[in-house]
Amino acid sequence: MSVEERVHQVIRDVLADDEVVLTDATTAAEVEGWDSLAHINIMFALESEFDVQFTDDQLSSFRDLGELRRFLAGADADVRGR
Amino acid sequence: MTTDQLAAPVAEPTAEEAVAEARARVSRQPVPELRACLDLARAYERAGDPARAVQWAFAAIDAGEDLAGWMAAARVVDRCRSRLPARSRSARVAVLGSYTTSQLAALLPVAAARAGVDVEVYESGYGQYRLDLLDPGSALHAFAPDVVVLAVDEGEVHLPPHSDDPAAAVAQELARWTGLWDLVEQRLGARVVQHTFAVPPEESLGNFAARVPGARRTMLHRLDERLAEAAGDRVGLVDCEWLSGVAGKEAWFDARYRHLAKQAVGLGCVPRLARHTAAVLAAQLGLSRKVLVLDLDGTLWGGVLGEVGLHGITLGAGPAGEAYSDFQRYVLELRQRGVVLAVSSKNDEPDVREVFTRHPDMLVRLEDVAVLLAGWGDKPSALRRIAATLGVGLDSLVFVDDNPAERAAVQELLPEVDVVPLPVDPAGYVRALARYPFFEPAALTAEDAARTAQYRARAQAAEEQAAAGSLEEFLAGLGMCATVDVLGPANLPRVAQLVGKTNQFNLTARRHPPDALAAMATDPCTVSQVVRLRDRFADHGVVGVLLATHRDDVLTVHTWLLSCRVIGRTLEDEMFAELVGTAARRGCRRVVGLYTPTARNGQVAELYARLGFTRTGRDDGTGTTVWELGLPAHPVRPGHVAVEARPAVPVVELDAAAPR
Repeated sequence: MSVEERVHQVIRDVLADDEVVLTDATTAAEVEGWDSLAHINIMFALESEFDVQFTDDQLSSFRDLGELRRFLAGADADVRGR
Repeated sequence: MTTDQLAAPVAEPTAEEAVAEARARVSRQPVPELRACLDLARAYERAGDPARAVQWAFAAIDAGEDLAGWMAAARVVDRCRSRLPARSRSARVAVLGSYTTSQLAALLPVAAARAGVDVEVYESGYGQYRLDLLDPGSALHAFAPDVVVLAVDEGEVHLPPHSDDPAAAVAQELARWTGLWDLVEQRLGARVVQHTFAVPPEESLGNFAARVPGARRTMLHRLDERLAEAAGDRVGLVDCEWLSGVAGKEAWFDARYRHLAKQAVGLGCVPRLARHTAAVLAAQLGLSRKVLVLDLDGTLWGGVLGEVGLHGITLGAGPAGEAYSDFQRYVLELRQRGVVLAVSSKNDEPDVREVFTRHPDMLVRLEDVAVLLAGWGDKPSALRRIAATLGVGLDSLVFVDDNPAERAAVQELLPEVDVVPLPVDPAGYVRALARYPFFEPAALTAEDAARTAQYRARAQAAEEQAAAGSLEEFLAGLGMCATVDVLGPANLPRVAQLVGKTNQFNLTARRHPPDALAAMATDPCTVSQVVRLRDRFADHGVVGVLLATHRDDVLTVHTWLLSCRVIGRTLEDEMFAELVGTAARRGCRRVVGLYTPTARNGQVAELYARLGFTRTGRDDGTGTTVWELGLPAHPVRPGHVAVEARPAVPVVELDAAAPR
């Protein structure tokens, strides 16, 4: 699976919504059910999936899915390169 | 628009193809992973098979602790459950937390459903639990829970980093928590499940803290001990200190998420906490599994006995041999604390028995095994026979086999049976079985609470030692108690139901309609037994019916049946002994029994012969055989069932109470 697919899968799992439409431009506010609690769950689940740790700032500062995806793609490359 | 445009794109697999593909992926993994199980669950859901979808969602949460995976599985179960029959047990559960318990509350329903309980969950506001408990107008009171889970963390414990009087500090804190239990019981009439306090890994005194009674870490350990002592049978405990150790303290205590969102339990550990909270809840409701069914070749020892022979199997010596020995030791531990052992093996029985009796490194002995089935039949049939022999439901069985094909066959055909997947390497067997949480020893159900004192009064330790080894011990350990009533208005509906539907243990399969039964209830020539049975685990209600007619000096049993649930528990011997007593009191000289063969009642064809009757006749029209026993007779009571006979209600009263 690509990084994008993995990110989308985690979000769909946590939101328990297989149909939710996700793109790079998607922001949390636009997605039904993505409230502050879901956000915590998603960020934690992404940390587990990609074996990374967001900084405290990052936990609440990603602008949209694209920014999140690009960060995780970079981190994933680092993990694989280790 | 043409039909061509309406057709699905070629690339999109059908729901059935998606199931086949997901199944193939699961089959390729020796121990299916959470993700693969979850994909199969979703595929089944889309294919319109909610029962299999739920089964595989359960397999997914058994397979791991991934938070996102659990949430997805929870949703599959939530969507499918409404299309399936409700579970036999349900409970209203209030989660009262000292931290953000939303994730726990969200996962508890799927974890509980996995354990056999339908739960409705109420979540108290974060940190609001004392107020909620005290305020009779609170939403908590309106919810009226059956069970209150105190999901609290060590941050809620009022203990200083160091105390000069640790005993007093711990005692004071203990009183605060047991006081809360009292509140729950008094105000809500609910049972308590208390999360004990996981002890954080950070310790300024380091190794030295262990010898300082006043160190907070030492006091927290002491508090947990005292809570366990105080809990007794009254309160269920989820041992978070143990669970956090298993999960890893640094994962359990995750400061970032605690600061960010008041998560006192690391989110990766919440699935584990939900699973164990559900296991304790199920145990409190008497739903723990009771029987461990073991395969032999590749499970209890290495190698195929039929090929390598008694001295060729791997056991005791060498790394693999030691792994199998370790596994046997763990199995024996389970047996010693009350889990009943059974064996299902594809081997010739004499060969198997020889290993048990002659192999020098065999630790599990024949006398540890309640039922041993060796033969060449399929395992699902063997499991059915084991359940029937022990008189338990399939949902009491846990099946352990190293062969994925056998496991798959059981999962497919007997979804009620729990299947523990063993890894390829026997070194992982103990851990795989130890991870299985539903042997959690049963606390007493609410109905049993009154008998707690009796249980305690008996030498408890000795009783646990003796629990459930052989079939005899198993029966004796059930603590069965039967009540024998006469047929009357109170039990007539249930008797009519049993008479109408019982097939296996039913000597004549006469389907008396309710009005005929009502007539018998008031007929002085009718001798009746309506038998209720309860045991340690459950009150089975009315499970046995015997109806006989007294003419001259002959008592003729024309109807005799037992519910399938209690076949094999020696209840028939007790009923027979009661019958002989009644016949003697009525001055009868003979008891006559009838047996009419049907497609399903072959198992009782020889019952009268076993009870000492002589066959005197046969009706060639129905195939009914007639059996006779001269009185006085001295039936043998096996003694596993305590029988309490109620005196016959006078006929006059029956008349008055009979439906008009």
